[in-house]
Amino acid sequence: MCFRRSSVWIGVAKMVPARQKSVARTPNSVVQRKSKIKSYRQSYQSMTAASRLCLTRALTSLWLNTSRTAPKSDNILDKVDPRQLASLMKTEWQLSYVTPLYQFRYTQLKSYSRQLSAFMAAEKEQVEDGATQNFKVSFSVVHGLVETDYDAETILIQIYSKSFFAGQNEHQKPVWKGWLACVNGNRDYINSLPKEFISLPLFGSSGTEALTALVKSWFQKNFDCCFGSLEINHISLQWLVALWTNYHAESNIKQLQMIWTLPVQPLLQVSYAVNPVDAWELWCSVKGDQPELVKENKVIDIDDVMRLMKGLMGYFYRLFKVDLSAGSLSSVSTALGSAKCRGQIKISNSKCMTTTLTLLTECALLKMPI
Amino acid sequence: MEDQMKSLLRQLVRRIPIRFLKVTLEKWGRLTVAQQQNIDFTQTKWALADELIAYSEENRLTLRHITELEMIYVIDNPNQGMWHAFQLVDPESDAPAVELMQFKEQFKSHLNELVRNVSVKMKKNTDEAVWIRIAWGDSCSRPNNMRPTYVVHYLQTPYVFVTRLTSKQKTLLSQAMIIATRHQAIKDAHLSGRNFSAIRDLLMQEYEQVFPAKYPSALVERNQIAALPNIEREQAEAEVNRLQMACEAFGGGKLPQLQSVVYKLETKFKDPSNQTFTEREKPFNCVVTFTSKNLLESLRHCASSGIASTPITPLLSSIPRRGRNYFVITDKVSGPSSQINPTV
Repeated sequence: MCFRRSSVWIGVAKMVPARQKSVARTPNSVVQRKSKIKSYRQSYQSMTAASRLCLTRALTSLWLNTSRTAPKSDNILDKVDPRQLASLMKTEWQLSYVTPLYQFRYTQLKSYSRQLSAFMAAEKEQVEDGATQNFKVSFSVVHGLVETDYDAETILIQIYSKSFFAGQNEHQKPVWKGWLACVNGNRDYINSLPKEFISLPLFGSSGTEALTALVKSWFQKNFDCCFGSLEINHISLQWLVALWTNYHAESNIKQLQMIWTLPVQPLLQVSYAVNPVDAWELWCSVKGDQPELVKENKVIDIDDVMRLMKGLMGYFYRLFKVDLSAGSLSSVSTALGSAKCRGQIKISNSKCMTTTLTLLTECALLKMPI
Repeated sequence: MEDQMKSLLRQLVRRIPIRFLKVTLEKWGRLTVAQQQNIDFTQTKWALADELIAYSEENRLTLRHITELEMIYVIDNPNQGMWHAFQLVDPESDAPAVELMQFKEQFKSHLNELVRNVSVKMKKNTDEAVWIRIAWGDSCSRPNNMRPTYVVHYLQTPYVFVTRLTSKQKTLLSQAMIIATRHQAIKDAHLSGRNFSAIRDLLMQEYEQVFPAKYPSALVERNQIAALPNIEREQAEAEVNRLQMACEAFGGGKLPQLQSVVYKLETKFKDPSNQTFTEREKPFNCVVTFTSKNLLESLRHCASSGIASTPITPLLSSIPRRGRNYFVITDKVSGPSSQINPTV
């Protein structure tokens, strides 16, 4: 049911030349880019017209957005309930992609909570004969995280352990947390889905493996969807380096730490931690602007990202004569958050939540088989 | 039996794995043959500790005997905890003549002068190392045997290796050490690791060193994989050269097991494609850490496989050559051109 699509797109993304300003080549047509942001969507449109949700999608030359903009409104706290935002932040999430959900209704969340809780009780009984732990499940909607009107609202799922003695404890910490989100999803893809399907391609979970597996299997049974592990590849990690460094003007990133793994025997890990002010000034010089202008300019291009990485790796090479690109970037972390290539993400500052989730939603959509 | 003795004995039993406990107890020799044979090593550690406490009480052992047991275990299994290396500098004229008894006497008496309540135990090992166990106390409290410091010094060498130490204890220890060894000062050697034998071998250069040779055939023959006679390897010569340079820089054969090296960099950023940043006056500050199960082997493999370009940069080859794994690198301002040289 889940097709493992060959990751052709990664190769294509690497081959994007440095100054491809005007033309985006697609197998069917040559599409002139009107603006950097729209081009990705246009080329995609020409593809989806010909091939809808079928295997030929593997042949389309999709790639990550080559430029990104900061969100329209600066303060996310105006849009989202701070308590819900707090439950999304400062936790390390394990990411997966999810195929579109069939007949998922936002009006039935309470019923879903009961159903999942019953499902978990039933499954646990089959596994252990001894004392069963009762769970209380809560499905809630996190309004305000989405940017566009075709994105589905984020769903937050929390599982509490029901103890026999205590009453309704409002401040009890959940034993498992998870969420489904779609932030700035691809409009053409979402519009091309049949009406009964909802796209919430990004899934994050925090808790034991056993509980995560239970939740996933309930979703699979009820909404005919499929989960798969989502790794964060090196291009996305490099984007995060640039995006988070770009936020230094608004919120001190404390340090920019990148960890590479070099393929030698035994495995060598290189941690490269840059002073935040120096990282920010390097970023401004890469963008070619004064710091004030860089702060106002909301658009970041992939060329900027590549130049920043080239600068950092070049400085390293000049001193150590070690080529970091021989290894793989495995983790990026700043005070704003941290990301690991195995698909773990932690967001510590609400300012970059939307940009980070946008990037991850794109990764999820690209990795999905259908 | 005193509480401190019991706690120390329990702590030791918890810490020492069962497979080493039997051997260590035998070496210790404070239990009778019958007691030794009666011990049931399959019981839980708590019960085992109880049994040993009972035997120690029977044999009327003192705290000194228990610390002896700890010392035997640590000397046989030194690769635990964090070790830091120090170096004695500016020897007096009679420094080379310091011999064991004199060193022991001087060290003990000076440390006792500096610290009111301190318990010192010294032992000379077969490999000429002097092992010192220090339990620190102060004017109000008795020596704390639960958190001792271990010091190892090889007489006639300037090296001193130390486990955990607070800054106050460091000053006191340094004082006692320089007086006892007839030196004027002691400085941080900037070398630390979990593996005592590794940092000792590195500082004393006791590992296989490879020197430049015109015909490096011995090394090559040992390391080259069996080549098929009809296939000529295009890169063979380059590979041999890289391997030779890698071994010259880091050593051949088995290398001392260092875990990490830290570089604190404060040098100017230079990039021909980024003129604006190159012209910046301020240095570019960052901290680079290389971590691995065996750092030197990883770096050697980097060099021989081409990930690190040869000739190996002095920043990396300084690790074995200067025997340190913490560097602060700044620009050495010498004349019109500034060079990158490790300066500390």
